[in-house]
Amino acid sequence: MTATKPDLGTWVGKGIDRVDGPHKVTGTAPYASDVTLPGMVHAVVVTSTVGAGTITKIDTSALLTLPGVRAVFTHENFPRLNPSPDVLFGEAPTAPLQDGRITFHGQEVALVVADTSQEATEAARLIEITYAAEAPLLDPAAGQPEPLPLSPDTSRGDTEAGWAAADVRIGATYRTPENTNNPLGLMGCVAAWDGDHLEIHDTTQGTIALRKTLAAMFGVPESGVRVRVPYLGGGFGAGLNQWPYKLLAAGAARELGRPVKLMLTRPQMFRLVGHRPDTEQQVRLGATRDGTLTMIEHRATVLSSIDFLAVGLITSGTGHLYACPNVATVERTVRLNRRYPTSMRAPGEAEGNWAIETAMDELAYELGMDPLELRLRNLATDLDPASGKPWSSNGVIECCRVGAELFGWSRRDPRPSSMREGDLLLGWGMAAAGFFAYLPMSQARVTVYADGTAAVRSAATDIGTGTYTVITQLAADLLGLHPQQVDCRLGDSDMPASAQSGGSGLASSLSNAVIDAVSHLQGELLTLAGADSPLHGLGPDDVVCRDGALCRRDDPSVRVPIADLLAGQGLVEMSGDGRLRPPDAAAAGMVHAGAYGARFVEVAIDPMIGRLRVRRVVSVTDGGRILNRKLARSQILGATVGGIGQALFEDTLTDPGTGRVANGTFGDYLVAVSADVPDVEVVFVGEPDRYTPSGTKGIGEIGLVGVAAAIGNAVHHATGRRMRDLPITVDQLMM
Amino acid sequence: MRAFVYDRPDAVDEAVASVAADPQAAFLAGGTTQLDLMKDGVWTPDRLVDISRLPLRGILVESQQLKVGALTTMEQLAAEPVVAQRLTFVREALLAGATVQLRNMATIGGNLLQRTRCRYFRDPTVAACNRRSPDSGCAAVDGVARMHAVLGVDERCIALHASDVAVPLLAVEASVLVSGPSGQRRIPLSEFWVRADEGPSIENVLGHGDLITEIDVPLLPQGWRSGYLKVRDRASYEFALTSAAVAVQMDGDMIADIRIGLGGVGSVPWRAREAEEMLRGTHVDPVRFEQAGRATMASAFTVPGTAFKVDLAVRTLSRQLITMTEATR
Repeated sequence: MTATKPDLGTWVGKGIDRVDGPHKVTGTAPYASDVTLPGMVHAVVVTSTVGAGTITKIDTSALLTLPGVRAVFTHENFPRLNPSPDVLFGEAPTAPLQDGRITFHGQEVALVVADTSQEATEAARLIEITYAAEAPLLDPAAGQPEPLPLSPDTSRGDTEAGWAAADVRIGATYRTPENTNNPLGLMGCVAAWDGDHLEIHDTTQGTIALRKTLAAMFGVPESGVRVRVPYLGGGFGAGLNQWPYKLLAAGAARELGRPVKLMLTRPQMFRLVGHRPDTEQQVRLGATRDGTLTMIEHRATVLSSIDFLAVGLITSGTGHLYACPNVATVERTVRLNRRYPTSMRAPGEAEGNWAIETAMDELAYELGMDPLELRLRNLATDLDPASGKPWSSNGVIECCRVGAELFGWSRRDPRPSSMREGDLLLGWGMAAAGFFAYLPMSQARVTVYADGTAAVRSAATDIGTGTYTVITQLAADLLGLHPQQVDCRLGDSDMPASAQSGGSGLASSLSNAVIDAVSHLQGELLTLAGADSPLHGLGPDDVVCRDGALCRRDDPSVRVPIADLLAGQGLVEMSGDGRLRPPDAAAAGMVHAGAYGARFVEVAIDPMIGRLRVRRVVSVTDGGRILNRKLARSQILGATVGGIGQALFEDTLTDPGTGRVANGTFGDYLVAVSADVPDVEVVFVGEPDRYTPSGTKGIGEIGLVGVAAAIGNAVHHATGRRMRDLPITVDQLMM
Repeated sequence: MRAFVYDRPDAVDEAVASVAADPQAAFLAGGTTQLDLMKDGVWTPDRLVDISRLPLRGILVESQQLKVGALTTMEQLAAEPVVAQRLTFVREALLAGATVQLRNMATIGGNLLQRTRCRYFRDPTVAACNRRSPDSGCAAVDGVARMHAVLGVDERCIALHASDVAVPLLAVEASVLVSGPSGQRRIPLSEFWVRADEGPSIENVLGHGDLITEIDVPLLPQGWRSGYLKVRDRASYEFALTSAAVAVQMDGDMIADIRIGLGGVGSVPWRAREAEEMLRGTHVDPVRFEQAGRATMASAFTVPGTAFKVDLAVRTLSRQLITMTEATR
């Protein structure tokens, strides 16, 4: 990238309060569930009660006589949709109601539309559907393994030679269960057509991917589809895909000529908007006596639904964290009669890290070596071991060292069950963590007005992490304004296109688009400077905006008020459009690095009754440039809570005979609650990353990676029992 | 949702008559179980008789017992100073249950009548549930079972009674006062619930139109100690995997008298009488504690997902016995 390094530091990095906070706490932030349109009717999804087979009969005639019921859509009368286009992470899951085929228990089989949601719910309850049921395929061993397009096998060196050369070897199988994303905000939408124009208020994390999907599948121009998501009640990945419910609402709205509102129920959130799929992983590690890794082999099988594949990424980080010459990764999936998988916070990395970082702890014990020392000896901090090129930044060693110091790791007695407090066994565990670099395309528009204020516009969504706030801070610094003079608007596909919030890529992608947009804005403003202007003849990077004026960068006292520049040409505003401009990595000679971390955990276990409590966590993260310390800390805190849930509680269970979700409510599916969360010390280390001008790395997901393994390793330290299957529950800890 | 008639009478007689007259009517108190069941489509009353205006709130402290109005909330009972002093295990069980939001809505009468949390019972698309529809089978026995019972159950139904506070109330020999179509009667809690292995579709001895108006809770005599231990994966807002409510009267190193209730294990709140008899009049001895637990759990019926509960219940009881007997020395 050629742009001059921006001058950031007045507002960027500061832990200012969320700019959207007042809207949220006063209930004035409009979420999709708050949208009400004139003439709007309500739709409720009916789901299958068998796990495989075919619908043989749906009798809807009786339902149409019920109070308020307007329509019942089934595969017999729902409009035929065009094929799904390829968007983010592939095409949409199966288009709904196109045939009578059932591929999982809880699949969409009908849509009831009524004047009120209560009437629609009652009619949906009374619908009678007859199935030719088949035995669902639920046993992974009975399925056909197939490769995953996004998770190719990798290999370097010779793992068998590395195995043969090892003095110490370990090999074991690790499992992670299905977890359900469960954002607090229920997902849903309001769809309204005006001729061939569709406007949809939705809970997607990516407005542009949904726009493209809706346009293609309904056969209308992309220019005529508007997706609006000003606020999102979370997502954790559940908002990444083009789920059938959106197509159902849009289809029903078009057929009925009325706006249709469709909100999923909490039980439906366990079935219709994805989950973190189950994995089974085999890991082999070899090392010489001094703890130098001689080989890593990581094989993973991840479960998919019949028509929609898992993303995978279980093994994709394995070859990059440790400097080992011999590495092989193999990843397969099996299609079963299970609900749609998707990405869930730190997809793949959270599962793969559980296996690798537990295996590293096992190797450390086999070697008789401190687990921290084993990491420090092998972590690849200078060069990416897969390509041999330098990282754009890598603070993983610093994460480990700083975390160990803060935690007091040197006081750890490595012998299992050696640290006690009364009846309690104490365990100290750690894990290293990485999260892949991901830099999708985003665009943004920056506008300055004659009154000295400015606006940033992008179709990007703020999933709740603070995108509004960090972009406001960035624009304030770039334009030399106070954040209160900057209005940031997001979540509307009519604004400049943007990547989704997901993959920890948005903050970096969008911040660089804003930097580019300001550069273009400065160029546009310069075109207004006539021959008599002190700024005449300067280039876009020779000037900066400060306090409503365009100034010489090297001498800010040479300045022209923007209002004067605009007025000179009869203008009231000026905009600059920008986009992410990734550097030519090959030319730059570096590999774009993701975020890194190290987690240190203390657990206390009452061995008589198997009671485990996490007592403290030190979480250190290299997130490159931190845009807002307060929000960044919140991201790591929240992800730590998610990691505790992954380690100890979260487990979406499937009935062995039917494929039904066995615990799909908040009463039955456990997530960590406040009482489970101890003191968490969040620390950031590292430098702004060299790969992009903004220098930030995504930190929405890295905080979860490594938490489960650190807890599992702490359990081993406390009890001598090696935990290889998640979650770790009371029944595994009675001693 | 399904339409229903909503009544809110002011007098007990009126409420009882209203429900008794309509076979499809039911009382509504705090609603923390009932509204869930209605939303799940498991329970579909045509008439709800809201009893929240009945004069059944409050606690009357007498010298030997508490008279607790059936509409007293869990939080109100937990906040009563006499409960903290003389019925410590009742207070601890209350505060270990649900969340403060739920405890501010949930009533003591309703707590005793709460329905099982079995997900097969609570999902009307599951056909096999002997509790919901007699002779239809039990999906839980072959399904995903963990939060299920191992005592007072058999292959016909493994539904758990998940109440915490019912466990110490049973141990302290509380009773309920019931107003019904045929007048008032008193039912000791020991005779109130019906075990699943004695008929999975019947949960208690109340008839249609019977209304609990009061719970009478004997105070533990001076010199007794009590406590409630709840074991669960999560630190809060989860039903017990196992729990033990223990009250003891110590005489030096000897257990002079004892009451034990177990939670998380039974189709009904479980009184561990065998264990009480084995321990009464004996010296503190952890080996004997474990034997008493084993004797209590000897009749357990388990499925793969619940097998761990036998051992866990023994350990939970042993731990609580150790804690309670240590505390007196």
